[in-house]
Amino acid sequence: MHRGDPSLPADPPRRLTVALVGNPNTGKTTLFNALSGMRQRVGNYPGVTVETKKGRLQIAGRMFELIDLPGTYSLAPRSPDEMLAVDVILGQQVGEARPDVVVSIVDASNLERNLYLTTQLLELGVPVVLALNMIDIAEGQGLRIDVDRLSRQLGLPVVAIQANKGRGLEQLRAAIAATALAGAGGRPRPETPAEPTVHGDGALPPCPTFPPAFEQEVEALHQRLGPSVPRFLVRRLLLDVGGHIEKRWTDRQSPNGAAVSRDELAAARQRLAEAGCPVPAVEARTRYGWIRAALAGCVVRPAQRPVSWTDRIDRVLTHPLWGTLVFAAVMFLIFQSIFYWARPLMDLIDAGRTWLTDLVIASWERPGPLRSLVTDGILAGVGSVLIFLPQIMILFLFIAMLEDCGYMARAAFLMDKLMSRCGLSGKSFIPMLSSLACAVPGIMATRVIENRRDRLATVLVAPLMSCSARLPVYVLMIGAFLTEGHPPWVPGLTMFTMYLIGLVTAPVMALLLKRTLLRGETPVFVLEMPLYKWPSLRTVLRRMTDAAWAFVYRAGTIILACMIVVWALLYFPTTDAEGRRYEERIARLERLDPQTPEVAAEVRRLHGEWKARSLLGRVGRAIEPVVRPLGWDWRLGMAALASFPAREVVVGTLGIIYDVGDVDPGEIAETPDVRQTELGQALLAAEWDGQPGRKVFTVPVALSVMVFFALCCQCASTLATIYRETRHWFWPAFTFTYMTLLAYVGAWGVYQVGSWWLGT
Amino acid sequence: MSAAVTLEFLLPLELLRSGDWADVAEVQGEPAWVGRLAELGIRAGSRVRMLRHGSPCLLQVGDARLSLRGEWAMQILVRPAAGPQPPEEPA
Repeated sequence: MHRGDPSLPADPPRRLTVALVGNPNTGKTTLFNALSGMRQRVGNYPGVTVETKKGRLQIAGRMFELIDLPGTYSLAPRSPDEMLAVDVILGQQVGEARPDVVVSIVDASNLERNLYLTTQLLELGVPVVLALNMIDIAEGQGLRIDVDRLSRQLGLPVVAIQANKGRGLEQLRAAIAATALAGAGGRPRPETPAEPTVHGDGALPPCPTFPPAFEQEVEALHQRLGPSVPRFLVRRLLLDVGGHIEKRWTDRQSPNGAAVSRDELAAARQRLAEAGCPVPAVEARTRYGWIRAALAGCVVRPAQRPVSWTDRIDRVLTHPLWGTLVFAAVMFLIFQSIFYWARPLMDLIDAGRTWLTDLVIASWERPGPLRSLVTDGILAGVGSVLIFLPQIMILFLFIAMLEDCGYMARAAFLMDKLMSRCGLSGKSFIPMLSSLACAVPGIMATRVIENRRDRLATVLVAPLMSCSARLPVYVLMIGAFLTEGHPPWVPGLTMFTMYLIGLVTAPVMALLLKRTLLRGETPVFVLEMPLYKWPSLRTVLRRMTDAAWAFVYRAGTIILACMIVVWALLYFPTTDAEGRRYEERIARLERLDPQTPEVAAEVRRLHGEWKARSLLGRVGRAIEPVVRPLGWDWRLGMAALASFPAREVVVGTLGIIYDVGDVDPGEIAETPDVRQTELGQALLAAEWDGQPGRKVFTVPVALSVMVFFALCCQCASTLATIYRETRHWFWPAFTFTYMTLLAYVGAWGVYQVGSWWLGT
Repeated sequence: MSAAVTLEFLLPLELLRSGDWADVAEVQGEPAWVGRLAELGIRAGSRVRMLRHGSPCLLQVGDARLSLRGEWAMQILVRPAAGPQPPEEPA
């Protein structure tokens, strides 16, 4: 065994941890990617919806763990999500070591405000390295920053960097290593240095000091709560009216069981107001006062702020008319691409699945449960997961580019007025719009919404938007029952109405949710417009692959499981009333001559009989009384049940159950005349069991089926994605329940009104 | 006429026209919201410029551009600054 470096402590060197903290739009993610390289992983914590990213950082042969904490303007936690950063830095997050160094990344062109967060880090007593990012842009605006003087006056290592170009990263690495090793000697770090140390040009304390009257109140509370409670949190308890710590420690109890009542807090705040340090003004005054002193003489500004590129671009892009036109064009491009660019890739994935299935069937001659599980369960399931990837990756390509170049905030600004009418903010627009193509990427796109309630509301209503999977159902029903014998405008109007159902229901439901289940104080809609810049290829690719991986890994496994369960319900039992196996009967027939029409018809009849006898078929019969008010027979009910993994499956199931064989929903969607297809013919001819001459499908029934599929959540992928994004089973269960109820009531209403209207 | 004349000339931020400069005199409302705005640099004494009025409006605060909804902009009282563009001077 080798002896350690003499400059290091004698103990085996433990892994040192570096945390990255900064305001949104400071290039934090770019810096993280630049420092950690390609190997990253996502850290999740219970009860928290935000993710942290983790990576490794090697400096001079020593490994550091790098944590990217969510972007924030301050460490004044208002929610469990915001508390995460505080807990990690204080070393109170279970499973995380207290960081040895915090890199505070700031936007060099907006130092004063960015340093607000830095002062809170200093108060936490953790060693801080300041990274002045986007120094080139600041210089381009005519700002001159004296980095050495700033470092002396702040009492911190300060490094000017350009994270996107990799400039200054070597110095930053060196500063991180030096600071980490200086603090890693085992000496416990005081949370707030007791003695103001004199440094730099004057006697500026190492972090902002609150007025004595304030500290007295903090001291009194600290005594009550006990010394194990970090003083920083006691200050936050006093400063953040209605904040997370106040809620946590007054509703329940503080970590030591010493509860503080709301009245006591109110009284303390009242005393502070009388003493001339009202909450929360005292914090802003104290911090900005210290920042001004620390910045004195370090920053030289031009007498006249030059008109920047961002100003010029914004004159057009935030303009009520021109900006909206550009926005509409961008949205059209995104929409078009998730609809049409993704198509060839999706077809390719589908063709690959078919090829593999044929290969399995060809090389595995004996039919049986295992072969069926592989082809109809696993391969179909994996195919239905992968089929989403083109849309997800294309949507995230756009989202990442729009976000990285700074346009996303402008889009949210332009759409805010519209979206505020349904209780949401402008940030909900793109997720909702994307859901018109597919709810899965749409729900994943809600990650751009910081406000938890807004995000949840958007996630819960996004599946109401009419996605492309509903199209085959609409085309089948309209094509078969609403074309011949109807005026030529009927099919178009019906299709339009189906889309309108989602476009109207989603905002109304969002408003309803925001008023009931997701009620809470209106979020402060303050949105920062970052500077425009060229999107970084690396960041964009990273977001795309992250989104794809998150979907495959988390949602994909659930989708696959669902597919296999439904496969089993449709596969078993495998024998007819006389105990003969369907697979053998079918195989025997196919060996005869599958080309003969009589044989082919018999094969399809056997497939239909088998599905009707399956477990799901039996459930379908059992629930017939439930679907009767919608005008449905048990076949429709069973097809709706079988379509739980995905809506379009209903088309294939109807094909099998009406003895016309498996029907590809994509082909139905592209058929010029549905009435000429076998499925169309079968549906037109379908009659109620035991009631010869009574047709199953009438116009009201067709409408009832369409309305049901417009509003229901028969989509395991959507539900799995909701689970993945909310990390709780309640939300997908809730979505499924409310949408199914809505669909049932809607279909019932349409059928009843339609029957009365048409007198059938 | 009345005492109001002698009062300072304050108006809600929302009433500034595009291109106007003003100094924030007071941020009213819930402490949590006042604190949030202070973190973003909007507090008594800071100089702001209305880039685009309306709801939401677009503001220049220091070197940042922030968007704010009308109902919130009503709670920020400002003192309009005369003249074109006075450079912000640290106090």
